[in-house]
Amino acid sequence: MPGPTIDLTVYENEEALLAGLRRRDPDACACLIKRFAPLVYAQAIRLLGDADEAEGVLQQTFIKACDKLDTYEGRSGLGSWLYRIATNEALMHLRQRSPRVGLDDLAETIQEDEMPQRLTPWTFDPTTAALNSELRAILEQALAALPATLRVVFVLRDIQGLSTEETAVALGLSESAVKVRLHRARLRLREMLAAYMQEH
Amino acid sequence: MTCEELIAHLSSYLDHEMDAALVAEVQEHIARCRNCRVVLDTTQRLIVLVHDEGRRVIPASQRSALFERLQQAFLNRPQTLENSNLRTAEDSAV
Repeated sequence: MPGPTIDLTVYENEEALLAGLRRRDPDACACLIKRFAPLVYAQAIRLLGDADEAEGVLQQTFIKACDKLDTYEGRSGLGSWLYRIATNEALMHLRQRSPRVGLDDLAETIQEDEMPQRLTPWTFDPTTAALNSELRAILEQALAALPATLRVVFVLRDIQGLSTEETAVALGLSESAVKVRLHRARLRLREMLAAYMQEH
Repeated sequence: MTCEELIAHLSSYLDHEMDAALVAEVQEHIARCRNCRVVLDTTQRLIVLVHDEGRRVIPASQRSALFERLQQAFLNRPQTLENSNLRTAEDSAV
């Protein structure tokens, strides 16, 4: 006898899906995964810069989310809630990776070698041109090359679009530390991308 | 304002977190300093360039194997009373 099949379109929208999760519909978690796993994985890989670790975070995120639905208060969207779980899981991985270099004990000033060196204007205009796969690969490499302490701030602020305050809370940092790290991350990324930009 | 000072304050300027008096100093500096103008412009472009990346998902070609493993991990997770009645099916992988 064939097993039950799941109609993944059964939930029209996020509210319906959430209601299904709260009723503990058998298929609700599978729908949650289908809807949000691509976003969660993309976030995990940006934060960690490592595909294998990101996959572990992806799995942990959904296992935790489905087992801890009672803690979801519904104030933010399901996506934001999952992002938060994924971010916490990823940060835990980063701390385990280098336990002696905490996410909170980094020099907070601009280093001399971080002063801009590449001073050629870019012809690429992101307001009119979309990222091609080559440039996206360059960006991903550059992100992965950043120290984790800078990368996580940049991902949360400039990519995910959290405010300084939200980022500070998520990372357990002061707002001024978030600002300095964001600035340093931007300078370093600009420098790394500039190497590509001035050749294209 | 020197170039070093401008670079140190670049993000505050781009994020509109700067006092009006300092903003005027930045604008005065970049009007006469070509290098700082380039750094300001390219940093701004970087921020715009990554802005939409937050909505990007994994390529379809990578999805199915990844989702299959995710589903297996999910199905094989330690069972609790709360989740023991939850099921997933093969077609939850995209």
